[in-house]
Amino acid sequence: MELTEEIKEAKDILQNIIKSKKTIRMYPQNNPVYMKTIEDSYAKFSSFFDYKDNLSLRIKQNSIYYDSEQIYYNPEKEDNLALFFFKDGLRELTFGRGMLRDELEEFLRIVALDFDRDAIDDDIVTLLWEKDFQNIHYIVDETFLIDMEEEDYQKITEEKAREKVTDVDDLMKAYTDGFMEEDVKTISVVPLSDKDLQTLVKELEKDSAGKTGKLFAIIFEMIYQKEGRSDLEDALSFLKDAIRYSMTYGDIHTVLDAMKRLKEIIDDPLMSEDEKKLLKTLPLFLGSEEIVGSLAEILDSGMEIDGKVFEEFANHLEKNAIAPLVKYLGELKTIRARKYAIEALTVTGRKDMPLLARGLDDQRWYVVRNIIYILRKIGDRRAIEYLLRIVRHSDIRVRKEVIRALGELGSREVVQTLRECLDDPEAQVRVAAAKAFAGIGSEAAKKILLDKISGKAFKERDFEEKKEFFEIISRWKDAEVFDFLVRILKARSFFGRAKMYESKACAAFSLGLIGNKDALPALDKFKDSGNKLLRDFASSAIRKLEYGQ
Amino acid sequence: MDNKEGKGLHRNAQDIVNQLSIILRTAQIHDPGNIAVTTAIEKFLPLISQFADGRQDIVLELVGEFFYIDDTRIRYSLEYLLSFDFLIREFKKREIGKVIFKEGVGAGDIQLFLNAFIASGFSDTPYEVMSDKIADSENMGVDRLKKIAEGGETDARKVVKKSYFNAVSYTRGVMTKIKSGEKVNIKKAKRIVESMVDQLLEEENLLVGMTAIKDYDEYTYHHSVNVSILSIALGQRMGLSKKILTELGLVALFHDIGKIEVPADLLNKSTNFTDDEWILIKKHPVCGVKAILRLRGLDHTSIRASIVAFEHHLNYDLSGYPVVKRYPELDFYSRIVSLADQYDAMTSSRVYSRIPLAPDKALSVMMERAATQLDPLLFKFFINMIGVFPIGTLVMLDTKELGLVYESDIIFADRPRVLVIIDSGGQRVSGPVVNLAEKDEAGRYLRSVVKTLDPNKYKINLAEYLL
Repeated sequence: MELTEEIKEAKDILQNIIKSKKTIRMYPQNNPVYMKTIEDSYAKFSSFFDYKDNLSLRIKQNSIYYDSEQIYYNPEKEDNLALFFFKDGLRELTFGRGMLRDELEEFLRIVALDFDRDAIDDDIVTLLWEKDFQNIHYIVDETFLIDMEEEDYQKITEEKAREKVTDVDDLMKAYTDGFMEEDVKTISVVPLSDKDLQTLVKELEKDSAGKTGKLFAIIFEMIYQKEGRSDLEDALSFLKDAIRYSMTYGDIHTVLDAMKRLKEIIDDPLMSEDEKKLLKTLPLFLGSEEIVGSLAEILDSGMEIDGKVFEEFANHLEKNAIAPLVKYLGELKTIRARKYAIEALTVTGRKDMPLLARGLDDQRWYVVRNIIYILRKIGDRRAIEYLLRIVRHSDIRVRKEVIRALGELGSREVVQTLRECLDDPEAQVRVAAAKAFAGIGSEAAKKILLDKISGKAFKERDFEEKKEFFEIISRWKDAEVFDFLVRILKARSFFGRAKMYESKACAAFSLGLIGNKDALPALDKFKDSGNKLLRDFASSAIRKLEYGQ
Repeated sequence: MDNKEGKGLHRNAQDIVNQLSIILRTAQIHDPGNIAVTTAIEKFLPLISQFADGRQDIVLELVGEFFYIDDTRIRYSLEYLLSFDFLIREFKKREIGKVIFKEGVGAGDIQLFLNAFIASGFSDTPYEVMSDKIADSENMGVDRLKKIAEGGETDARKVVKKSYFNAVSYTRGVMTKIKSGEKVNIKKAKRIVESMVDQLLEEENLLVGMTAIKDYDEYTYHHSVNVSILSIALGQRMGLSKKILTELGLVALFHDIGKIEVPADLLNKSTNFTDDEWILIKKHPVCGVKAILRLRGLDHTSIRASIVAFEHHLNYDLSGYPVVKRYPELDFYSRIVSLADQYDAMTSSRVYSRIPLAPDKALSVMMERAATQLDPLLFKFFINMIGVFPIGTLVMLDTKELGLVYESDIIFADRPRVLVIIDSGGQRVSGPVVNLAEKDEAGRYLRSVVKTLDPNKYKINLAEYLL
């Protein structure tokens, strides 16, 4: 290959590097455009290496040379490849014939990094160095590592160190004394064994574990050794940093251990009240929006979480965590994540129920529904006051949940509201209200339901809703309900026969559920009914009563 | 060459060294015809043919302390550490510099090589025997071990010196900047440590040699660099990767950063510390943690650096300072840095112990501390790294020559290279540098250490000889 041809190819390779810089930034590694860029670059290098053993580029501030020919020039500061290499001390880059595709890709990925925008702790030379390329070599100018005023440091220090010339008399004395010294007792060098290497391998494995736990241990030791408030303030600030760092890496376990240890310290009688007060700000930090935000990221990341650890972690959250937890509850993407957030709110909500109840004002229906669920789980009857306020919520799913909660939590004070819900325009709400009454389980509740079923309007409701109601009243297995059902079963009417058969079928179904065999004669009468629905339900109830099926 | 092939070849090169070592070790126990040996040979031959892949010759070469195959250095790995060491030692014993495997090499050739190898081990002229016997093989050959050119060493020494002083100057700058609240460029620190790692991989002795010189005014800065160098050197002996060595070197460089809080006149005090002064000195590990965490915030390196700053005066049994209440075992890096720190401090004259110890005496003291104050396993590696007579030890030879240990020998820990400063006639001289591993024709060592002396006692300025 002639020189002009070589220069042309070198120029071409360089242009390709510039082009690939943009592509690599834009596309993920598995994207066909990305892969093609790498292949093209590699092909260009390979074609060059058909004729030459290596491609050596000399780098100046604004230009790059191949042989003595300038093949790149850019006087601007932006997007200047020469300057990009030059500023970190890179002065020559050589690509060897044996260069692997992977090596080239790694190299191009380094070149594509945006050092201005990304928080990269290394310069380009360090990144190249860490890759330890076998076929990409470079020459670096290290002088810029040293500040201008330090340039003579070596010379001055060396001269000074050499100044104190060894006195010949001292030297001769050493020589003479040497003959009188005791013979050397050799330190035995025990050769390294396979066992030593195995132990070392284990040590290295152990060493690869996270180090934040150790950092926490150090900070706690600093607390033990504190000499004043400022030491404690320093330690507290480092603890916050360590928590922030651990949470960024999803290390809930380490944070939990730290919080446990903090609690021990706070409980230490030797600790002054002032110090305790200061240390107690840390659990508040744990519940801050920042940390709860990190927790939300962990939950949504799909990272494996030990349920027990999470539960303990949640126990360390203070009530200030409630508001951020509610906020993130509405933003979490996965069911699993929401489940954990609900668990955390169930724990923290107990510490301040009214604060949790504020979440009922959230604009997102699913958040409100979850808060109702949490209030129900907490079981604090003071929540009824808040729940009653949203029983008319615009979203049916919320109304259903609140009715359920009221049923579980309330007694007399919720009856009127629930009774009104039995007439809600939505069947699902009406059924939920009926279930809530069942949850209350009182005589009054029973009476309200029986009255509702006896009402004229009830007959007109859908069969499924009616069946639900009859199923609900079967939980009262007493004579009153039994007689009520038998009466319906035996009732006669010449009008609205279809609806009547539905009611009878529901009564048969409910009698089957109550399990009282005294209902058998009444049921037997309908096992051969001309109405299929009634016949099926009566037969089914008989089977249930006779054979428990 | 595709990627898999490239990576595979490197691994293959390591396997070749390892398997050759296995063959030779097995042949030292069994007869070359024994099934254990022949099985090992059977495993070896495919490695060679795989590597050859059409090439006519494969040349395994020993240069300095490293093996090369076809001019590419075979990297050390922990897995093969003992095999590499064994082969280096055996090659050196026989003065073998190269083994050439030609196309068509077979089990018969390896058997011939083994016989030659074993026979040469009993000879006073091992290389000649080896070379003579292997001549019968058409497919294998050997070449004599080359001595590293002195001229090259001079250049390397210059580069190493520059790196060393760059590091000291940087450390000085960093400490000054932190004191005055200025920003510190950690990228520079990485570059400086990387350069030291490179030199330790290539010229371990030269850089470690720089740590033996203690006659500087600014002890703290030199000490930080020395501890970093010794830590990296120890890490290298343990087969740690370049990246880990850099991290280790970096955290070691900052281990004493807490001393910025200790007044300079106290640090450089020429008399013993009072109790109050000791209290102040003992605060520097905690001050170090604070300085590092404030300097960089939290990331992996700053956490590791804080741990080392806190633990470097804690002993293996958790005695030492700062006194800890409930504390887990020491970090791996801390145990390494602690060894390097103790050794450098003990052999220096301006800290804690006002009377510096001679390097070999310092090692004796450390040996007593192993298992209680120092990690015994790491100490074993340390002593293998630094040698029985560390660089800077003043030694009397059985030839009535007085000298300073100039370089240690990676394989023969008690047979370093020594710079003669008084000849056998009692005359002051500057050189030559003699290798204590050299033998005469009868197989006897030409020189051996018979006594060690304390260079400090005789005010011998090591800088004059080693710098």
